[in-house]
Amino acid sequence: MRVLVLGTSSAAGKTTLCAMLCRHYAREGMDPVPFKASNLSLNSYATKDGGEIGMGQAFQAWSAGLEPETDMNPVLLKPSGNGIIQAVVNGRPFQDYGRGRELDREAAMAEAVKAYGRLSAKHGFVICEGSGSPAELNLMDRDMANTGLMDRTDVPAILVGDIERGGVFAAIYGTWRIMPDRLKPRLKGFVINRFRGDGSILKPGIDRIEELTGMKCLGVLPYLSLRFPEEDSYSSSEGRLEGTTVREAFLRNIDEFTDAAERSGFDFDALTRIARGRSSSRRHPHGADLGVLRDCRIHGHRLSADYEDVGVGKDAA
Amino acid sequence: MDCIRKRVNDEIERGWIGSNLECPYHPCHFWGQDCTFCYCPFYPCEDEDLGCSTRGKNGKPVWNCSDCLLIHRKEVGSYVMSEIRSRGIADARDPRMKDLFQDAKKRFWRMGKALMVVGATSDAGKSVTVAAICRILHRRGYLVAPFKSQNMSLNSKVTRNGSEIAMIQTLQSQAAGLKNPDHHMNPILLKPKGDDMSQVVVCGKPFADYRVKEYYDEFVPGPGIRIVKEHVDFMRRRYDFVVMEGAGSPAEINIYDKDIANMKAAEMADAAVVLVVNVEWGGSFAYALGTVELIPEKDRRRIKGIILNNVRGSTDSIRQGAKRLEELAGVPVIGVIPHVEVSLPSEDSEALRGVGGKGSGRYKVGVVRFPRIANFTDLDPLFMEDASVVYVQSPEDLDGVDAVILPGTKNTVADYKWMCAAGISDGLKALRGKVPILGICGGYRMMGSVMDDSVGMESGAAGIYEGLGFFDNRTVFSEYKKTVANREATLLRGDGGEVTGYELHMGQTEVGEEPLFRIERMFGDPWNEGSVKEDEKLFGTYLHGCFDLPAFRRYFLSFVGEGASVSGKEGEKSYKELLEDSLDALADAFEKGLDMDRLMGILEAGE
Repeated sequence: MRVLVLGTSSAAGKTTLCAMLCRHYAREGMDPVPFKASNLSLNSYATKDGGEIGMGQAFQAWSAGLEPETDMNPVLLKPSGNGIIQAVVNGRPFQDYGRGRELDREAAMAEAVKAYGRLSAKHGFVICEGSGSPAELNLMDRDMANTGLMDRTDVPAILVGDIERGGVFAAIYGTWRIMPDRLKPRLKGFVINRFRGDGSILKPGIDRIEELTGMKCLGVLPYLSLRFPEEDSYSSSEGRLEGTTVREAFLRNIDEFTDAAERSGFDFDALTRIARGRSSSRRHPHGADLGVLRDCRIHGHRLSADYEDVGVGKDAA
Repeated sequence: MDCIRKRVNDEIERGWIGSNLECPYHPCHFWGQDCTFCYCPFYPCEDEDLGCSTRGKNGKPVWNCSDCLLIHRKEVGSYVMSEIRSRGIADARDPRMKDLFQDAKKRFWRMGKALMVVGATSDAGKSVTVAAICRILHRRGYLVAPFKSQNMSLNSKVTRNGSEIAMIQTLQSQAAGLKNPDHHMNPILLKPKGDDMSQVVVCGKPFADYRVKEYYDEFVPGPGIRIVKEHVDFMRRRYDFVVMEGAGSPAEINIYDKDIANMKAAEMADAAVVLVVNVEWGGSFAYALGTVELIPEKDRRRIKGIILNNVRGSTDSIRQGAKRLEELAGVPVIGVIPHVEVSLPSEDSEALRGVGGKGSGRYKVGVVRFPRIANFTDLDPLFMEDASVVYVQSPEDLDGVDAVILPGTKNTVADYKWMCAAGISDGLKALRGKVPILGICGGYRMMGSVMDDSVGMESGAAGIYEGLGFFDNRTVFSEYKKTVANREATLLRGDGGEVTGYELHMGQTEVGEEPLFRIERMFGDPWNEGSVKEDEKLFGTYLHGCFDLPAFRRYFLSFVGEGASVSGKEGEKSYKELLEDSLDALADAFEKGLDMDRLMGILEAGE
């Protein structure tokens, strides 16, 4: 099982949603593992074997009841000032780039796909987190964690949008519209995050988005004043944080959030079906059949021979 | 009326043309106004486009055209004066004056054009875009005014006539070069009291409290639509351009038909629409495309341009994406605006989200971040001193602060309970006497001994609450009545000095402490306001904006530590001048980043 959580913006709540899913599926005994192909963050965590990964993945690993390891975040991009970014691959410094020097994106991405393959082989459910928005028209050809991963594996995806700042329907619909047509059939669902008040008011909007895109609304998650690790500078730092260690504090918060999600009627069953690749055979509004996912494990467009050699994606389901 | 005619006759005889910069009241309407006729030679024109009949003090009908600016336009003043001369008119009662009025109106008056600025999200940059466009048009010599039909904000100000409107419209009005912001610029103001309840302020006066559902089901289709139409028409009759601001996102399709702040208001004003997107958060192309496409066809055609706002770093990469966005959305990108570092007050608490503090000055001022924090722009002038702000949400945030401010709140009782439950109250009690603590409005009440809401007006649940007990003051919420007033005051302590501010509150406070300010009045006796206990470094006032002039903020900061030597970073500039500079810098950035020819084309064409 595998799913990729894409955000409609930075700080839409991807990290927390993935952590919650890790927690929920760990409670269900389904052996989830977090994964983020590439992470742009200054907040990193040292794994037991001395590797470096994004803090968000460490937090998600704890939520899943696992020890953080470098495969969970194979590419970490750390801005080191003056326009230079240090690329950490498989937990070790790989290359400094910026100011005219390019990152060897293909090499880094190949490592990421290998790591994804290893996690898929070892665990029951790979819960992948995207990075930023997948719909940056000016950056899409350089994408790694969003369309980059989708093009190189068969992972189905869901979108999460933040309703607190408004425009969430436009964000979800617009993201779906901008995604390349070849990937649209793999966008299966969406989640509305940080909602306050009576959820019934949203129904006409949700119905319309489902109708327009063929994606299913998996849930409307409540706003909770909790503090989670910071991914980047746009994350919210508000909320409570209590406990003796950071790890304990985060875990207490993620338990509270998971309880709230479970109470809110979040459709975990539908997500499970999406992650298994057994989606409803509902006709896509643009004519594509959503039921064919299992047969399109490798998506050809930008898949180079290198990736076919890696063979990842084949065992992902 | 004879008095006015006599003045006009004097003006005609004098024949002087131009702006009277010597006048102590200049400009009484707008910067750059013409003063050839301080008194209108056409009064009473009885033209419904320019004024209306009201009742005077004695109950008799009076022609009211106090908001008409026609005669103060540069081209109008000189035209009318020269026509009066060439037609040989010497007296305002001359019947030919009526013909001249018709000629002048025909020549110079037209219904103004409206432009609506909508945003893909809250805090997309709508209000700064409106402010920037107002300033650009003002600098180009147009008469321009801001308008926001419905604003949900806890930052409000008081107009000259004692009406309450959103703070941001007063700032935009300043950007437009206007002297007197008024309630027509923001006829409906929603002040949230809790997650579901808002006080609705109409034409600057409290109207009633509504739940969200009732507001949309009853208020909007009833009085709401009529109010918006009436006021936007009023504005268009007086200005060349009305730059309207939308609210939130215009594409909230679940409540689209009940939204009178965005596309419906644009329709009523026959306005062209531009969409602003904040690039900083990511996903901006998706937000832009989704917003355009979710708006129903009949309204979508109004959208004439997209502005990509707040771009950090190089704009080249964004421009590439913008090309593709234009193709997908079928709407041109008319501006790519870089991030501008300016000191302007922010509109709502979305801007505070995820922000732990502000400024980099030496003295750390802890500001209690109430869930319903109101008028937090009160604190902005602090950044003109060597001070920075940290937002206090837990007792630990009070560690190491040099001073504490309890700001305003829309719900004193509920936010007081929050502060106690969060453990901040105990933290404040421990700091008493050690660092200066100032309460403003709601925060001031909390510092008293009792808050009596036995009718449940403030919080919805009746109760009498014990406050922090720093002051021997007692606040009572009894009748649904609001104090709304601008104040000029004198600081009674330290070196004294001038203080300006405004009061905006329900309920009244009985004060048992020494006063902080003396409220000065043009007519009538002054009275005392606020509370002070210097030995315990405790201060409280109802006056929002009390830091705008330097006297009080420096007095307050002098209680930091052993007495901070406070010197203004920005020299002796007033906060108002700083805002002027910021508005100009903002307008410069927009003028550079916008395709101005295109924008002017959109403005002129309207819808």
